[in-house]
Amino acid sequence: MLFYILRRVISAISVVIVTVVCSFLLFFAAPHDPAGVICGPKCTPERLKDITNSLNLDQPVVEQIGLYFKGIVVGRDYTAGGVTRHCDAPCLGYSYILGVPVTDLLARAVPVTLSIVIGGATIYLVFGVLIGTIAARVRGTTLDKATVGTSLVIGSVPYFIVALVIALYATFLPKSQYVSFFDNPIQWAGGLLAAWLCLGLTNSAQYTRYSRASMIEALGQDFARTARSKGISERRVVYRHGLRAAMTPVITIFGVDVAYQLVNTIFTERIFQLPGLGTRIINAFNQYDLPVLMGGVIVGATVLVVMNLVVDILYTVLDPRVRLG
Amino acid sequence: MEPLIEEAAVEPKGASIDAMTAPTGEPKKVETRHKSPTQIALARLRKDRLAMVCLGIFIFFILIAVFAPLLAKLEGQDTTTLHQDLIDEYGFPTISFTSEHWFGIEPRLGRDLFARFVYGARPSLIVAITVTAITAVVGVCMGLLSGFLGGWIDRVISWVVDFVLSLPYLLFAIAAPAVILSIMGDNPTEADVSQVTRSRFLALILVLSFFGWASLARLIRGEVLSLREREFIAAAKVLGVPTRKVLFKELLPNLVAPIIIATSLALPTYIVAEAGLTFLGVGLVEPTPSWGLTISNATTYYRADPLYLWLPVLAISILVLALSLLGDSIRDAFDPRTRR
Repeated sequence: MLFYILRRVISAISVVIVTVVCSFLLFFAAPHDPAGVICGPKCTPERLKDITNSLNLDQPVVEQIGLYFKGIVVGRDYTAGGVTRHCDAPCLGYSYILGVPVTDLLARAVPVTLSIVIGGATIYLVFGVLIGTIAARVRGTTLDKATVGTSLVIGSVPYFIVALVIALYATFLPKSQYVSFFDNPIQWAGGLLAAWLCLGLTNSAQYTRYSRASMIEALGQDFARTARSKGISERRVVYRHGLRAAMTPVITIFGVDVAYQLVNTIFTERIFQLPGLGTRIINAFNQYDLPVLMGGVIVGATVLVVMNLVVDILYTVLDPRVRLG
Repeated sequence: MEPLIEEAAVEPKGASIDAMTAPTGEPKKVETRHKSPTQIALARLRKDRLAMVCLGIFIFFILIAVFAPLLAKLEGQDTTTLHQDLIDEYGFPTISFTSEHWFGIEPRLGRDLFARFVYGARPSLIVAITVTAITAVVGVCMGLLSGFLGGWIDRVISWVVDFVLSLPYLLFAIAAPAVILSIMGDNPTEADVSQVTRSRFLALILVLSFFGWASLARLIRGEVLSLREREFIAAAKVLGVPTRKVLFKELLPNLVAPIIIATSLALPTYIVAEAGLTFLGVGLVEPTPSWGLTISNATTYYRADPLYLWLPVLAISILVLALSLLGDSIRDAFDPRTRR
C-alpha cells in the first residue's frame, strides 16, 4: 500500500514538473519576442530591458527554466520601473501589466472559484443521487423514462448555452456577485445562487444517470435480496443497504469532476461575471499577460493531478476489492 | 430484440423433411446472405427512427454550410455589408423580417443576419470535422503502435497519453492562441485582422487535436492488447506477414466498431468546444461569421432583439443534441451490449 502511494506521488510530481517545463517552453522559449509581448503596446526601451533582465530572457533556456523552478521553491526578485519587488516562495512569475506577483493574483481568485464549485457540487450531488435513486426504484415506469430522457437532453445541450440562458432570463434570482463568506454569509450565498443553480442543474442530469445505473446494479445483488428476504421495508433496503454500495463509483466520479470544475469554471465565471480563476485567465488572455496565463496553467494542472491522486488513493481505501497494480 | 446473426432464412417448420414423404425433385436451395458485422450494425441503425431523424438534421446543417454562398445569393445579401440606413439612432434595427433581410439585421452594425447565420454554420463544422479526422488518425495509429509493439514504445506512448489527459485542456485552449501569433513571428498587439483570424483558426484546430487523440489512443490500445493474443494474429505472424500489414489488414478491420463509436461521440463535443471558445473570445474573431461570436454579441441585445440571440443558440443546441443522440444510437447499433 505504502509503495503504491509512493509510486503514485512520484508519478504525479513528474507530471507537474513536465507541465511546468512544457508551458515554459510554450510561453517563453517558442515566441520570437516574449519580452515584447509581455511589455505590451505602450512599450518603452527601459521597460523592455527590465523585463529581459529580470526574466533572464537573454540567457540559455535551460538556465531560465532553472531560475523559474528556483522561484517556485525559494522566491525571486523582479525589477519593474526601477523598483525591485520580492516575489515570495511559491513564486509563479510577475505580471508586468498589473504590477503584482502572479501568485497573489491567483490566490485572490481562488476563494471565488472554490465557493462556486463547492456550492454547485453540493446541489448536484444531493439532487442527482436523490433523483437517480428514485428513478432506479421505479425503473421501467413512465416516470423513470421521463427522468432519463430529460437528463439526456439537458446533458446534451452545451453548458455555456444553458448558463447563458439562465443568466439572462432568470432575473428573479439575486444579482450575481461575489462577497466574501466571512464578510457576509447571506450575501455570499445570494450572489452565488444563480451560478450554483446553473452548475447544479446541468450536472444533476449526469449524476442522475450515474446513480440510477449504480443503484440498479446494487439492488440486483445478493445482499439486497437477503435484506428483502429478512422482511425489511423496501425504503430501508434502498436507502440503507443499496445506497451505500451504490455510492462508491459515484463518489469516485464526483472527486474527478470537482477537480475538473475547479479548473473549468471559466464559462460560469465569465457568464455570471464572478472574479474567479477563469475570469482572471480570460483577462490575462485579452492583455497577452503571459506570466499570468502560465501561472494559471500550472495551478490548473497541479490541482487536477493532486485531486486525481487523492481520489485514486481514497478509492483503494473505500473499496478493498481494487487491486493495486 | 432482433437476432444477432441474420444469416440463414430458415425454412418454415411446417414442411415435412421426411425422406419418405418429401416430394422428389431437386432439394430446395437455402438462400443465405452474408453480412459483415458493420453491415449488420448499419442495418440496425437504419431501423432506428430517432437516429435517422438526427442524421437528417446533421445533413441539413451540412447542406446549409456547403450551400451558404448560394443561400446568401438567393437572399441577395452578404455577411459584411453594413446596412446603416436601417439602423435608428440608438443602434436598433428599424426592420424585422423583410423579403430583403429574411432574419432581420444586426443591431448597431446592421449586417444581414441570415447571411451570417448560414455562413456561421461553416466554422463549427469545419473545425469539428477536421479535428475529428485528425484525432481519429493520430489516436488510432498511436493506439495500434502502442498496443501491438509493446516494450518501450508502449511505455512512452502510454505516459504521453496519461500526461495529455491530466492537463487542464480549457486553460491551454485559452493560453495557446495568445502565444501562437508570436510563435509564428508576429507581435500579437500589432498583428492585422487576417493574421489573427488565420492564427486563431489554426490554434483551435491544434489545441483540440492535441487534447483529443489521447483518449482514443488509450481505448484502441486496450482493444489491441486483447486482440493481439488471438489466433488469427499469431497465424499472420507465423506466415511472415509484415508488421504494417498485420496492423492495417488484420487488426484495423476489427477495430471499426470502437473507432466509429468514439468518433461519432466526439464530433458534437468539438462543435461545442469551437462555439464555447469563440463565445469566450479566445476562438474565432470578427469578421468571421460564427455562431459563437453571434451569441456573444447578442447577449447585450437579448431583450430588444431576442431572435438575434436565439437563432444561433437554437441552431447549436439542435445540432449538438442531434449529433449526441445519433452517437448514442450508433453506439447501440455497433455494440449490442449497451442497448437500452
